[in-house]
Amino acid sequence: MDNKATHSAETSTPRRTYALVFLVLVIITAVEVGLASTALSRGLLTTMFLSLSFAKAALVAGFYMHLNHDNRLYTYLLVLPAILLMVFLTLLILS
Amino acid sequence: MTTHSSAQHEDHFRAGHALGLNHLKLGMWLFLASEVMFFGSLIAVFLNYKFEVPPALEELAALDVTLVGLNTFVLLTSSFTVVLGLSAIKQGDRGGLIRYMLLTLLLGAIFLGGQGYEFTQLFAEGVTLTSSLYGSSFFTLTSFHGLHVFIGLLWVLIVLFNGLRGAYSPDNYDGVEAFGLYWHFVDIVWIILFTIIYLI
Repeated sequence: MDNKATHSAETSTPRRTYALVFLVLVIITAVEVGLASTALSRGLLTTMFLSLSFAKAALVAGFYMHLNHDNRLYTYLLVLPAILLMVFLTLLILS
Repeated sequence: MTTHSSAQHEDHFRAGHALGLNHLKLGMWLFLASEVMFFGSLIAVFLNYKFEVPPALEELAALDVTLVGLNTFVLLTSSFTVVLGLSAIKQGDRGGLIRYMLLTLLLGAIFLGGQGYEFTQLFAEGVTLTSSLYGSSFFTLTSFHGLHVFIGLLWVLIVLFNGLRGAYSPDNYDGVEAFGLYWHFVDIVWIILFTIIYLI
């Protein structure tokens, strides 16, 4: 059941999409390495790096792990502990 | 519950669809949820030490962002080959699966080689597991990730072996998919580690 559902969804994800995602991931990584040697303010760079890495993680999870068309429960299983971690890290920083 | 419905339930369970979900995949996602907390705690420790006891400038200068950027590219490429391998077997292309898994094996090994080279460079600069709090938390975090990549490489070998003996088909690719989820997760962890260790 699930296998078939995933299968039909999978055939709708052409290899071209995977290649496009890969290209975007590589470009973002190259931009990150380039930005690392610039003299922009620390705060701005940190915000940019965190945003870019979040975008990369979301692309891998969404397209390569198929969360964009798979059962929502799997997304919750990944996002819930990630949110708990964010709360923990925020409390850690505030302390 | 009648005997008939009980037997029916058992059939559904055996088929792995009692929840309307593939049990292997659900189990894999539950494992990955626990892995988020595992790496999360290591990341929290690393960040805490980094901000509470700032590393020496020489320690930060020893980090080679370009080398690790290239290694990141290698790991991202391996995620691409894994998803192409899964796509191949879903279309019945067993040869494609084998080729992409071999490429994944090669790329994963290159990543580990790159990490090993980086470690030797850091040792030469005096950054070791026992040199400082920064060194301890750095090597603990990156080595645990490297261990996950190594386990992934052993897993690719199993997928390759199963693929060669014809265990996978367009109707049965759960094993490849479960491995893929693990590998992509390890890739995501690296994306985050690359940012918090080398960029921020």
